[in-house]
Amino acid sequence: MDDDIAIEVSGLRMDYGATEVIRGIDLRIRRGEIVALLGPNGAGKTTTVEILEGFREPTAGTVRVLGTDPLAAGEDWRAQVGVVLQSWRDHGRWRVADLLELMRRAYLPYGRDVYGVDDLLRDVGLSGQARSRVRTLSGGQRRRLDVAIGIVGRPALLFLDEPTAGLDPVARREFRELVHGLVDAAETTVLLTTHDLAEAERMADRILILDGGRIVADGSPDALARDIASTTEVRWRQDGERRVHATADATSFVRDLLAHHPHGIDDLEIVRASLEDAYLAMVRRRESLETEGVTR
Amino acid sequence: MTAILTVHAVRAGMRRGAVEFLNSLRNATDVGFWLVGAVVTVVVLWVLRDEPVADLGISTAQFIFPGLLAVQMLVVATWGVAVILATEREDGTLLRAKAVPHGTTTYFAGLAVRTLIETGVALLLVVVPSVILVGGLLDRGPVALSALGILVLGFVALLPLGLLVGAVSRNPRAVSGWGLLVGAGVVVVSGIFQPLVTMPEWVQIVGQVLPLYWMGLLLRAVLLPENLYVIEIAESWRVVEALGILGLWAVVGMLVAPPMLRRMARRESASVLERSRQKALERV
Repeated sequence: MDDDIAIEVSGLRMDYGATEVIRGIDLRIRRGEIVALLGPNGAGKTTTVEILEGFREPTAGTVRVLGTDPLAAGEDWRAQVGVVLQSWRDHGRWRVADLLELMRRAYLPYGRDVYGVDDLLRDVGLSGQARSRVRTLSGGQRRRLDVAIGIVGRPALLFLDEPTAGLDPVARREFRELVHGLVDAAETTVLLTTHDLAEAERMADRILILDGGRIVADGSPDALARDIASTTEVRWRQDGERRVHATADATSFVRDLLAHHPHGIDDLEIVRASLEDAYLAMVRRRESLETEGVTR
Repeated sequence: MTAILTVHAVRAGMRRGAVEFLNSLRNATDVGFWLVGAVVTVVVLWVLRDEPVADLGISTAQFIFPGLLAVQMLVVATWGVAVILATEREDGTLLRAKAVPHGTTTYFAGLAVRTLIETGVALLLVVVPSVILVGGLLDRGPVALSALGILVLGFVALLPLGLLVGAVSRNPRAVSGWGLLVGAGVVVVSGIFQPLVTMPEWVQIVGQVLPLYWMGLLLRAVLLPENLYVIEIAESWRVVEALGILGLWAVVGMLVAPPMLRRMARRESASVLERSRQKALERV
């Protein structure tokens, strides 16, 4: 087993009754990577993460997380894995500091460099809320508390499920900075799920697009945009009229265009397809395939 | 090594239980529930303090007092625990516990400790004022002290039942509503307010299967005048049978509960939680 690999999955499948939620996933994540699992609702993201967390038994496939099968793993393994859950109303009566103190105690016997409550509160920006009751926290503060609980044992691997769902743009940005700051310092491997593309693009250095229970794309945000949507849009104004042309080779198209029309070309723009265009194109392609399948 | 880790988790659980109890003291609804329950019980005993039971030479208050202690235990250690467990599964407390090392052990140790403290407080809230106001309740002196041991045994017998009910239900509102109805039925068939011997035979059979009857019987055996065994089934306190059956409930409960709870905890996950959250929101 390679020590540089945090997560290794092959042939992963998961059925719920007759429904296939995951239809064969192979995946390798190196230590220290920040990877986003992106996909529309129902793509199988949460199920995949729950299998990796050891909370769910897959129908088939081999899973190795930090060198161990999560289902067979013991409490030592659990102590190396942080899970950031989306809190709802659990522990609402607890004081923030009391809850973190209880959580940090869980990690003490495992020889980890466990966070002190004060340091942790400072790092997630909740120092002022130490004595507050959890139910009085704002949405953003609560999410910070979720992160604090996830990282209190300084995990080697951190799972974040839909980390910024329900946060306003300012809180989102703060959250991203928080996670980046924390994991950069500690070389933590992070796997996050999201259905928000902008989120994945900003947070992760690698994106896996999951759709219909399979990984349909894998790469850095730039590479994905290049590979999937290889077309570029060229826009210009010709004799006062707006023109648009999509092409795989913008450079030669523009060269020809200007050669043929030395005058009268204005407002020339070359727009590379964004990751969003690529993603939407891909999801649309699958939806149309499915519709065909139904009508047949 | 595993044993040391388990001890560590249980100690964390004691801390958890203590914090939970202190948090509950700051909650007006919880405190109100305890106080109203205690006040109602004490008032009932006070009203019935001079009401004689047939020609047994004791008051109705004296007769029902031991059974009321058993009922208090049922309310806190069985019904209360079932409601808490169902609620905390639904709101994600248990999932959070599961995500940290030995967290489930800590959680259940915490729930047991919290319930033990609450049971003690609930009993004191009833016993102290009623002994002062009503009189004649603890006349047997040192013998009455053995009631403490019976209460502890009863706690061990009734707590696993609450955990099991909480573990099979996913809906705290149903546990709390239906649980009260079922609990009231159990109280009736356990001969708490009316000697079981005066009830139809099938009721006597059902009652004698349940732990509450035997707990009430044992408490009467040590708290009522000795010669009152004449109002019991078989005209006997049946102390050996009572200890045996209550002990059996305790042992079976302690054997069955841990694997059931582990099974239940294994099934907790974010997606299961999300489904119950959606359901709960639909109801609101």
